[in-house]
Amino acid sequence: MTSHPVGLSGNLAPRQVMRATINQFDIAVWRSESGIISAWDNRCPHRGMRLSHGFVRGESLACAYHGWHYNCEGFCHYIPAHPELTPPKTVRPVIYSVIERHGLIWINPTAEARAHELPDNLIPLRTLTFECDENTALHAMSSTAQHAGESFEPGDTLSESPRIITVNTPAIANGIIIAFHQCAPHNVIAHVLVQNTLSSAAQIDVSRWLESVRRHAEANVSEYL
Amino acid sequence: MSFTLYNYVLSGNCYKVRLMASLLKVSYEAVSVDFHPGKAHKQEPLLKLNPAGTLPVLVTADHEILTETQAMLVWLAQQYDVDNTWWPAHNQPQITGIMQWLAFASRLSATVGELRLHTMLNKPLDAAPTRAGAIKALRELESHLTEQRIHGHPWLAGSSPTIADIACFPYTALSPDANIEHDNYPAIRSWLHAVRCLDGFITMPGIFELHTLRNPAGADASPLSDTVA
Ligand SMILES: N[C@@H](CCC(=O)N[C@@H](CS)C(=O)NCC(=O)O)C(=O)O
Ligand code: FES
Repeated sequence: MTSHPVGLSGNLAPRQVMRATINQFDIAVWRSESGIISAWDNRCPHRGMRLSHGFVRGESLACAYHGWHYNCEGFCHYIPAHPELTPPKTVRPVIYSVIERHGLIWINPTAEARAHELPDNLIPLRTLTFECDENTALHAMSSTAQHAGESFEPGDTLSESPRIITVNTPAIANGIIIAFHQCAPHNVIAHVLVQNTLSSAAQIDVSRWLESVRRHAEANVSEYL
Repeated sequence: MSFTLYNYVLSGNCYKVRLMASLLKVSYEAVSVDFHPGKAHKQEPLLKLNPAGTLPVLVTADHEILTETQAMLVWLAQQYDVDNTWWPAHNQPQITGIMQWLAFASRLSATVGELRLHTMLNKPLDAAPTRAGAIKALRELESHLTEQRIHGHPWLAGSSPTIADIACFPYTALSPDANIEHDNYPAIRSWLHAVRCLDGFITMPGIFELHTLRNPAGADASPLSDTVA
């Protein structure tokens, strides 16, 4: 399997936990107090509670259910109900490979995680979830521009899987990079990176542009949104 | 006592006022009302205090009655915030921004809050449009927090927390009770984390405390251990 960009590094501060999905893989991603990032199968080895509901305590993740503590290598080292016990080394969730590059968190559940090479002069702007598939989201980019009478230039495809593209919306910004992560058939995440020279005002314009793209993309999905 | 709060422990709106009082380190008298299943808020003598039949109700030492939580937050800050940071009355532009998010908090109650009552207590409700309204509101909040971060401001209405953050916190944090998880809202997740880190933060059922910050020695059990032991 290839590595997938599941989130922005900046959205996972020390002591935070998030949940990521890659196909059938349900993953808890967390960052320790000192900044070490880990990606584990989202099931507590004790009774199967989602570890993404857990709490970071220093360099450990504590399960929300019975408070078992797992260190950054995944080993359980503390069971509150039996404080005197040294848990066996087998009590350990499945560990996935995770790396951070270009401000993105990349996970590969079946092999060593690797990042796709992107230009260096980028800053991560935000992550948006679309309730539709990747092609509908892509198509909505040009139809949104048409609708607004703006020009829109699809740029290069930097990667097919996961799909990473550059786009230019000359009225707002050029060289926008969008990295998609399709986490379910009708659920795609778009990570947006922009040139690091872009002003705050233009960054907000890009963010709002992507929101209108989402409104277009989802127009046929729900009558209410 | 400084004031009396007619309270129900599982209500997000009651929690909003308890949280603000705790952050301001004010003590008060809490009267618990049998909201469910007793519906005491829909009967006398509660209706005499608040004909709208909602909770919470705040009665001041001067017998002034407040029935709207956003107004209670303003009142608490005016009375007890010696540094004038939670409701910076002297800062007009900031007050305008705060008003915007106080009004928005009512939308969160009407969407996420109602959907939560529907999910947890079977309150009759047309779930689909309410859910869509909840998602729309959370997306607006997510976008605003993203824009605030671009401006270098981590809070809803400025560079320090205000009553706007407290007004919007409960139902945003409680949305998983209405089956809306926070996975798709990274900026909201970071903001919820920041609120939980505030000095004086208290929890309610469904909103967990960050034990790691309060108790780094880690001697006690998990946040849920009391309820599931
Ligand atoms: N306007 C009130 C609304 C409070 C509210 O809706 N409270 C809920 C409990 S969280 C309630 O009492 N619901 C009963 C009802 O609406 O009949 C406020 O925001 O202060
Ligand atoms: S399920 Fe995780 S500690 Fe029990």
